[in-house]
Amino acid sequence: MSLEKLLENPRVWRGSSQVDSRVGLASGYPKLDRCLPGGGWPLEALTEVLIGQYGIGELRLLMPALAQLSTEESHAPYNDAGEYAEPGWIAWVAPPFQPYAPALQQCGIDLSRMLIVRPKDDSELLWSAEQALSSGTCAAVLLWPDKLDDQASRRLQLAAEKGHSWAIAFRPLAARQQPSAAALRLELQSTEQGTRVHILKSRGGRPTVLDSLL
Amino acid sequence: MSRAWKSPVIARDTAPTPTGKQQSLPFAEPAPLVTPLSVTPTAVRRLWFCIWLPNLPLEACRSSDEALAIVEEQHGIHRVLQTDRKAAAAGVMPGQSANAALALLPVLQLEERSPVREQQALEKLATWLERFSSFVSIAGKDVLLLEIAGSLRLFGGLPKLRQEISKGLGKQGFSAALAIAPTPLAATWLARAGRRACIRDEDNLGPALRKLPLACMGWPAGQGESLAGMGITTIGDCLRLPREGFAKRFGVERLLELDRALGHLPDPRDSWRAPERFCADFEMTEEQSDRDLLLNICRELLTSHEQFLLARQLATQRLCFSFFHLKSAATELYLGSALADRSAARWFDLLSIRFEAVRLPEPVIAVRLRSGLSQALQAETARLCFSGAKQKRRYSIAQLAERLVARIGGQSVNAVGMVAEHRPEYAWNIQNPLSDWSSSTLTMKEGVRRPLWMLPEPTLLTADGAYPLHRGCRLTLLEGPERLETGWWDDQAISRDYYTAVNGAGIRLWVFRSRQRSPDWYLHGIFG
Repeated sequence: MSLEKLLENPRVWRGSSQVDSRVGLASGYPKLDRCLPGGGWPLEALTEVLIGQYGIGELRLLMPALAQLSTEESHAPYNDAGEYAEPGWIAWVAPPFQPYAPALQQCGIDLSRMLIVRPKDDSELLWSAEQALSSGTCAAVLLWPDKLDDQASRRLQLAAEKGHSWAIAFRPLAARQQPSAAALRLELQSTEQGTRVHILKSRGGRPTVLDSLL
Repeated sequence: MSRAWKSPVIARDTAPTPTGKQQSLPFAEPAPLVTPLSVTPTAVRRLWFCIWLPNLPLEACRSSDEALAIVEEQHGIHRVLQTDRKAAAAGVMPGQSANAALALLPVLQLEERSPVREQQALEKLATWLERFSSFVSIAGKDVLLLEIAGSLRLFGGLPKLRQEISKGLGKQGFSAALAIAPTPLAATWLARAGRRACIRDEDNLGPALRKLPLACMGWPAGQGESLAGMGITTIGDCLRLPREGFAKRFGVERLLELDRALGHLPDPRDSWRAPERFCADFEMTEEQSDRDLLLNICRELLTSHEQFLLARQLATQRLCFSFFHLKSAATELYLGSALADRSAARWFDLLSIRFEAVRLPEPVIAVRLRSGLSQALQAETARLCFSGAKQKRRYSIAQLAERLVARIGGQSVNAVGMVAEHRPEYAWNIQNPLSDWSSSTLTMKEGVRRPLWMLPEPTLLTADGAYPLHRGCRLTLLEGPERLETGWWDDQAISRDYYTAVNGAGIRLWVFRSRQRSPDWYLHGIFG
């Protein structure tokens, strides 16, 4: 039996066919897009970015996509039914430093659609993120939780699906060992050649290592 | 005659009369008190609806299932003033002492008469009556007056209007005597006399009033007695007395009152205006600490708040709840909304988020809701939606912001904006998410690199000779310098050379070397 015949058998399940037809949001890095199922960031899902320290390029990695979300009229998360549409908002929940407005604007982010939330503790952080995700007004919600257990990540994943929003959680490298409901998990490491992006988990894709992406 | 000119009768005559007919002053012969005096025919006919609430002290009291009697202190003894049906059935009568009443019915609940409570009940009724007329007046302790001539058409005629008012009063638990007359005083007297009279024509007013007993006028007891001693028992008898003598004996005020009742003199009244700010209390009979119960009370208050605003087409952005305790100061809870709103459901939603975090030091005895300044409601046009398209958006960004503010506090939810300023720390500002969102049109200069992360304050870096150190590691300068030297007009002048540097871990940093005083290195941002 040839391989082609075997693959035609409907009982054979192939991982790559699991990818739903949803098209990802172009990340602005063609090398990365090629490795992601759907050709870009998986929207309406939770993405986890694991970083050893702040500033190794985690924001640069996201900026092209966020800029597109914040300005693109058609990407209003509730536009399918032809209802009143406005571009989505970007919520920053508990950022470790102050997101600097002039730089964000240089990256193409619409400042008038940014909401910065600074909750007092982790439970408020998760509550705020969940509210923002499920409200349906935020195109993307960035959050920096101290801890994020399996259950919390599942809640974020569900809230993102419900509100048609994109959740991005920044977590320390130690979180690599913990299970997570995220659709995509990336690990960022800085090397001498630049920042290396390691796709740890990708729903419908394969783990890959991308050297010197940024 | 000079004496006569000082008399109030003359004063009345100086009112402009179209016929110019001067009334001959009735001194020689005892002329009837009321002479056929022609009054300026007013362009607008007024019709007054009087509501007399004889049982107000009882009805203003919160209803309970127990038999209730209102007592009032008279000469040091508490005497029963009014009783409800249950108490009356047990033989409790007005005038009895409180002890006697309790002896008859041990479970009788006694309440002290409270003029404040009665006034509040009257004001509440007056506010409710504003839906029937633009002119509602509180006349005395237990009388409400409405000018209804202008409302008749709208409500489909007098019988319908009367029925609606009387039904509404009954629903709110008030028993009232109603009367309608062209002058406010006549309407009041007719109501007090218990005549369900409806006089629309001024010509019929005199005959109707003449039959009324003197008691309905509410004059002081002494005057009533002396009139009765003269054999005068009705208003008609009164009117037959000579004016001059009557004024001397009983006071000018009484004479004027009769003239006003008959419509010979104008009788202007104060119009009741409900306060434009909502403030309502809910008092509990005992202290409560059950949060669900308190939330339910708040919901009730919010519902009446919604009705208050709805009647005025208003909305508000701020609310304040006060939870009163017996021993400690009241706990206050302020709520803010991005959009002026009146919907009880939305306010309740915000309240319940906020209420979770509120610590009540003691059980609560009363709850008060006060609304902030109200503004005209900006109604939105709803979509006519037949397609059954699912409403995916649960709420707007403003609603999201106010939910977040309600839970984690107003200082913790911001928006950011740009400021035209060269100093990096002043080139942006924090904006309030609940005020109007403003989008600035400022843009950064091309070719100027700024970091995505900004440190709250520049941090001092140690230096190894000419090179700055970061975490013990020498920084490599990649770009720069970009010299910023500005701010001489205030105390925050800067003079710095900014560089993009990279540390050993490959993180790009934004550092500067101060050109003032000592040439120190500082870390100001991370490129992220």
